[in-house]
Amino acid sequence: MTQENLLTDTQPAAPPRPACAPAEAPRPPRRSTVRRVVRGVRDFVRAQPLGATALVLICLFVLIAILAPVVAPYDPIVQHRRNILEPPSAEFLLGTDDLGRDVLSRAIHGARTSLVIGVMTTLISLALGTAIGVVSGYFGRGLDIVIQRVMDAVQAIPGIVLLLFIAVVLGPSVRNTIIALTVVITPSFNRIARAETLRVRQEPYVEAARATGAGAPRILTRHILPNMIASVFTLGSLIFAGVIIAESALSFLGIGAPPPTPSWGLMLSEGVRYVERAPWLIVVPAIALSIAVFSFNLLGDALRDHLDPRVQRLVVQERRGWWGRRLISRLAPSLAQGAERLESTDTRTGGTGRVPDPPR
Amino acid sequence: MIAYALRRLGYGAVVLVLVTVIVFVIMRLVPGDAVSLQLQEVGASKEEADALRAEFGLDAPVWVQLWNWLGGVVQGDLGTSFYSREPVVDLFLARVPVTIQLGLLAILVGSLLGLTIGVVAAVTRGSAVDGTLRLIAVAFLSVPNFVVALLTLTALAIWFAWSPPLVYAGPTEDFASWAQQVAIPVLALGTGGMAAVARLTRSSMLESLGSDYIRTVRAKGVREKTVVLKHALRNSTIAVLTLLGLELATILGGTVIIEQMFGLPGTGQLIYQAVLDRDYPVVVACTIFYAALFVIMIIVIDLLYALVDPRIRHGRALS
Amino acid sequence: MSDHHMTTTTGAANGALATDRRAAHLARPVPERAEPAVLFEARDLVKRFRTRRHTVHAVNGVSLSIPRGRTVGLVGESGSGKSTVARLALRLLDPTSGELYFDGIDLLRASRREMRALRRRMQIVFQNPLGSLNPRMRVLNVVGEPLTVHRIATGRQQVDRVVELLEKVGLGAADLYKFSHQFSGGQAQRIGIARALATDPDLIVCDEAVSALDVSVQAQVLNLLKRLQAELGLSYLFIAHDLNVVRYMADEVCVMYLGQIVERGDGDTLFTDPRHPYTQMLVSAVPEFAPEREGERRRRVAPRGEPASPSNPPSGCHFHPRCPKATARCRTEAPKVHRIEDGRTVACHLYDPAGEASAK
Repeated sequence: MTQENLLTDTQPAAPPRPACAPAEAPRPPRRSTVRRVVRGVRDFVRAQPLGATALVLICLFVLIAILAPVVAPYDPIVQHRRNILEPPSAEFLLGTDDLGRDVLSRAIHGARTSLVIGVMTTLISLALGTAIGVVSGYFGRGLDIVIQRVMDAVQAIPGIVLLLFIAVVLGPSVRNTIIALTVVITPSFNRIARAETLRVRQEPYVEAARATGAGAPRILTRHILPNMIASVFTLGSLIFAGVIIAESALSFLGIGAPPPTPSWGLMLSEGVRYVERAPWLIVVPAIALSIAVFSFNLLGDALRDHLDPRVQRLVVQERRGWWGRRLISRLAPSLAQGAERLESTDTRTGGTGRVPDPPR
Repeated sequence: MIAYALRRLGYGAVVLVLVTVIVFVIMRLVPGDAVSLQLQEVGASKEEADALRAEFGLDAPVWVQLWNWLGGVVQGDLGTSFYSREPVVDLFLARVPVTIQLGLLAILVGSLLGLTIGVVAAVTRGSAVDGTLRLIAVAFLSVPNFVVALLTLTALAIWFAWSPPLVYAGPTEDFASWAQQVAIPVLALGTGGMAAVARLTRSSMLESLGSDYIRTVRAKGVREKTVVLKHALRNSTIAVLTLLGLELATILGGTVIIEQMFGLPGTGQLIYQAVLDRDYPVVVACTIFYAALFVIMIIVIDLLYALVDPRIRHGRALS
Repeated sequence: MSDHHMTTTTGAANGALATDRRAAHLARPVPERAEPAVLFEARDLVKRFRTRRHTVHAVNGVSLSIPRGRTVGLVGESGSGKSTVARLALRLLDPTSGELYFDGIDLLRASRREMRALRRRMQIVFQNPLGSLNPRMRVLNVVGEPLTVHRIATGRQQVDRVVELLEKVGLGAADLYKFSHQFSGGQAQRIGIARALATDPDLIVCDEAVSALDVSVQAQVLNLLKRLQAELGLSYLFIAHDLNVVRYMADEVCVMYLGQIVERGDGDTLFTDPRHPYTQMLVSAVPEFAPEREGERRRRVAPRGEPASPSNPPSGCHFHPRCPKATARCRTEAPKVHRIEDGRTVACHLYDPAGEASAK
């Protein structure tokens, strides 16, 4: 092995290569990768107990959603004609709705709908936004300007309005909901991907790779992407909460998942008519929705706090103003500056208002 | 300063043009156009469909449509509703005041509440009051505004057997009725902003309350109440203005659902109805309107900001 | 040298790879020569960077030639343009004007594919040892990247070759699967050197390769470089701001100031008898611990003024504002390059054989 000989000028002699060299070269230690991951998770749990709790809640949520058909006591679509608008009872734990459907089962399946739509949307827009952002950031110049202008324009339309617009064009269905939500969210991923790409592009190892003769595809996949993907995924977890909200809003308005697909938003809109008679119709999905969003927000915040401060800033910006952060910094630079200053206060003090002591 | 404003407006104009293009392109990308979708549901014949198409100029290629539309905009004509055959502009103008009232009130209420909560939380830092307030703030941050509205409605209906009046009456016509109708929507729209404002007010107040400047002021013997209200609050107002800018899009979007829920005849309800009716000209016009509203309001906020925040006003190189 | 192939004094270690190297690209038979042929030549390189506000004249007419198996040193302060020259030499940047020849091949006319093949023969070692290694790649992949890119060796063969390279620079097979952050600066730089050697290049540009290392480590890396040169017949373009280091490494030294070469000559002579006022300034600034002989202390020339900015170079001779010997002519007329003796050139009016008479 190596030793830095501080006093001598000469090179430490290279160990003579044994004749059976090929058999001696070590294999890639699989265990070390696993160990690194485990250590990462453990650090996270220790540093962010709140986030860890949220993680547990989320796992529960996901589990319930996946196992919906098993966990739910009844089929969510089946109507029990003789049990209409019944309050919570032993038979129907959370009551029934105006068509006699079990509220608990519908809520559980609603979780599944939200999960499916949420995951698909987030993944697709993550992939799309990252691809666009990376290409735009790496190749720059004309392409970059055009793409970014288009993204700005998309973000100038307030989210719901854009969703409505796409809904009217495409028509209500689960697939179209996913498409519409993807369009709205992609610019956020694009922005963070682009900013990170610009940063990584300057790094010396990228230049080193170019000097080696590597072409753009290789540089993009092996050098740029791996070094910026963490921030994108953090943003993803933060955005997930928003996606769930948006999906509920859409189905509440009747242009999301079409009935009878169980969805929390749909349940909410159905319950509005029976506010006095059957408040549980509203309360159940409302609480379910709130808890889910709350957990994802907590997790996202914890992940963000766990990150490199440089990236933190980007993620915070994107999350706070889903819509139009870059647009805002172009249209309203003073505002953007002020916002940054405020956010740095917030991040620094972690919402406690107290600046932490400098590390000893 | 003027140059600065003009540059912002210029960029805004570019964005809006792009928005229009995007809107039209999206419409064109979909197989089957507005007319066929609508008529499909009604069951009209092919001749009727073609006639309708010709009437609305949908048989021309998309760039011609776009050009015509833009030309119309300049003259103040935003098209005619498929549904009611009224000019879109008229439909709009009738409803814009309602939405703007709603939005402004929501912003106002949200900010005031948020400021109050933030100040109280900062002043009572560490106590149970503070903790509770912070928890409330976080909760409100998570719960979407329409859910808040629904829950409030539910609670009021059950506990007080009260629900807001169904027919809209403007503030000048019947103030009491209007106030009742508008109360919950305003609250619901404002809560998101309120929570964020509260949180930021609290941290920025804490930071400035602990600062050397304030310590000096206190040492000079100024009363605590004055210290809090006058000095620390000034910084918070800036915070509020900032947040407004950022929350703007959410608030604007929120008007759509809230108006629909409470039967308020604003532009939000207009676009929603139009979506259900597949009334394209209205939807297109509304979409672009909202974008324009966002752009203009953001620029206004920015100019206000530049005026209010001395740090920015005193010459940093602004792009 | 009686070889008809392009000659290098490659040691046995490179045996099998040698034919490989020539296979891919434009081989040119070189006629027999008594002295080493010129491997690399740059003529009148100019590079200007344009920003919105001003133009930076980073390189303003630099000519170099590097003989096979030799080291040419480039020394200068920050802003002198030496790093830009490094990048121009490898065509990591394209010059605004000028000519570049590698082994007789016109680099600027080369197509992308030709350029890619040529990159096998010219490599670079960067200033920032840890920065120039992708933090997410294991050493095997870092050093093996050139092998993958140029399809020289993959899989088992690549591992073997990388081990070979690592041992050549004083590391070992045990380091194969480590990450860059697990190494010290000196070790990381060795990895960088190993990577540069992977494709069996003829020329290596060392862009401040030891500037970021501790002095004791510097010595080791420099000796490694020297040893590799002897073993493999490498040519170096050695760039640094430390005169001592350059003197130790280079056969010929070029002194750069504000984008131009102001003096050129053998390292030792330059050091003991600097002619150009700037060189004198540099030499006198080197801390002297003990005079070489009593009574032979170097003349101290006090540095004057701040280094000028390359975006706004002074008129005439760029050095005139700081030059203790400036004349009126220096303010208006840029000096030509004058040959003092064999292998010594200076760009200064003081050495104009025509004297004060400004004969054009």
